[in-house]
Amino acid sequence: MINSIASLLCTFTTPEHIGMDPMSMLWMFPLLAAISLVYKATKMRVLFWDKFFKEAGILFLTTSLFVIFAGVGLFILVQVLTT
Amino acid sequence: MSNKSNSDHAMFLLVVGLLAWVIPGAGHFLIKERKRAAVIFVTIVGTFLVGLHVGSVAVINSKGAGLWYIAQMMVSPGVAVIANITRQGEYLAYGKCSDIGQIYTSIAGLLNMLCIVSAVYMGHSGRGELIGDEEDDK
Repeated sequence: MINSIASLLCTFTTPEHIGMDPMSMLWMFPLLAAISLVYKATKMRVLFWDKFFKEAGILFLTTSLFVIFAGVGLFILVQVLTT
Repeated sequence: MSNKSNSDHAMFLLVVGLLAWVIPGAGHFLIKERKRAAVIFVTIVGTFLVGLHVGSVAVINSKGAGLWYIAQMMVSPGVAVIANITRQGEYLAYGKCSDIGQIYTSIAGLLNMLCIVSAVYMGHSGRGELIGDEEDDK
């Protein structure tokens, strides 16, 4: 028991390996999900589970699409300016 | 009489705000918003722990990353204990994982700040008492 707790705590003392590739951008999605959940939890007048998850899901998709489109737009702009 | 009730109310709001800071979601729990409290606790603590796991405890850096540390402190005063551990040990945080860890832990703190304001506002307007009953009925 103590060993398993110690090994669990050890995972917090060394950083994970995350490459400098485009796949690392996927780390933004859990953060967007967390922001959507907390924002909806504070904003909904009455919190019913089905409506809450639906609205948080819609917010998550909206913010994700916005970030993706913004990224694509910036990528195209950089390509146009540098070629 | 009115002054006394006003000061009691102010003290209650102070307790709600402090509790919301010490344990994410506890402020909402105190004003009977139990579902909200559960969502806030799981999401904020989860986000913070993911940040610590990815970047290591060294992302809590009270000396080298002042503004990030202020945001991280909004998760809980317990973050100061982690900062103290980080100062005493030799923990590494570098590269992309350090950035991601710092962003996750700081965003968790900023989200908790939003929740503290929300809990105090709900406590002030009495929404917790009204809506808590509605939630229980469902």
